[in-house]
Amino acid sequence: METGLRILLLSALLALSGCASLRNWLDRDEPRTETEESQDEAAQASADEVEEQPPRVIEPEVERRTVKVPKIDNENFELGAVFGALSVEDFGTNPVYGVTAAFHVTEDFFFQAEAGRSTAGKTSFETLGGNIQLLTGDERRFTYYNLALGYNFLPGEVFLGRGRAMTSSFYLMGGIGSVDFAGDEKFTVSFGAGYRVLPTDWLAIHVRMQDRVFDSDLLGESKLTNNLEANIGLTVFF
Amino acid sequence: MCGAKEYLQVFVTEPYLELRTGPGRGYPVTQVVPRDESVDVLKRRTDYFKVRTERGVEGWASQKDMQKVVLADGTPFTFPLGDRAGFTSHRIEMGIFAGDYSGATLISGYGSFSFNSQLAAELSVGQFLGNASNGTLIDLGLTHVFVPEWRLSPFVTLGTGLVHIEPKATLVLPPDRTDQTAYVGGGLRFYLTRRFFARAEYKSHVVFTSRNDNEETDEWKLGFAFFF
Repeated sequence: METGLRILLLSALLALSGCASLRNWLDRDEPRTETEESQDEAAQASADEVEEQPPRVIEPEVERRTVKVPKIDNENFELGAVFGALSVEDFGTNPVYGVTAAFHVTEDFFFQAEAGRSTAGKTSFETLGGNIQLLTGDERRFTYYNLALGYNFLPGEVFLGRGRAMTSSFYLMGGIGSVDFAGDEKFTVSFGAGYRVLPTDWLAIHVRMQDRVFDSDLLGESKLTNNLEANIGLTVFF
Repeated sequence: MCGAKEYLQVFVTEPYLELRTGPGRGYPVTQVVPRDESVDVLKRRTDYFKVRTERGVEGWASQKDMQKVVLADGTPFTFPLGDRAGFTSHRIEMGIFAGDYSGATLISGYGSFSFNSQLAAELSVGQFLGNASNGTLIDLGLTHVFVPEWRLSPFVTLGTGLVHIEPKATLVLPPDRTDQTAYVGGGLRFYLTRRFFARAEYKSHVVFTSRNDNEETDEWKLGFAFFF
């Protein structure tokens, strides 16, 4: 009885496997496309991989976070305008206006380029002599530019009332440039000092004093002239 | 000024991060940010970063301290430093010179853009002031640095330009003239500190005049430059 049951089950199993193989055989007869084949191969390959890899207890679902670093704003350039008084040796003191640009290289040093213009007055000889004119109107125009290296020192803070502090700094400047005056251009050495207060990070107020020294032979003999300039300026950092 | 802007968030890994009132070592430290807290990086000025803490306090942190903070994914915060590596390889350099242009005093400035650590395109503008004449010159050329890794590194330069000469008043006043030039030269760069280097240069110009002979002029100059 028992053996009969076993035979029955075995024959049923054989019949099933035979059907499966026959189906495989029939399938093979049908024309197969390349994509089907490649899909089969891929499935086979992935199945192999799964077999090779050790079984995972927990599938990690946490994606690694990648941080995109935004561009950090560099504020090393400074650009602005100045207005003040320039004393042209022998020609009186007159208003001067100019532009200034700086590049801050380190916390201590900066490069500075500046240009300005003023109109010189009359010498005392011209004032006393009546109708004598040493220079024409165009020649009285005093135009300069200067390339300088600056050094920040004495950094500090200034306090406005109880609740406001502004950073400040003294700085020294020394540079070379040229002055166009009295129909001639002269090599000029400039040096001076300034004081910078920053009400906000990007705005600065300057007060500065500079001496522009050049050789002049305008009044007969060649001499070194000192042309002092005092100005206030407003600059923005960007 | 622009409130909607997204800033980079970094995390403090050292025991604390010092914040100063201004971008410089001379400004006092008024705040510290403890370990594991974050700050937003607002801007950079020279070697200092302006940051805002979680509590909204703003201050300036030094580049040296900011090298030790990490991003949200744990990777270190990296940024270009102004150091010897920057001297070897950088994009832009600028400088000012004093010198001599065929006997006249020369004031000159230049800017260059580097294609790689050795080759750069360079634009220089100068003014010379002499006893016989004044003038301006503008040069555009290529510069090749032989061994940029060396602290004292030689370079050669080649290019073309324009020179404008204004002769000074004499009995017979020759007119102003502008001529094309070509130059070849060389020089030395010497790394000083931080972003600074000194630069000495010689250029031999050929001025293509409208007369029968071309002129040859020498230009010597020495100056300071920086890179960024």
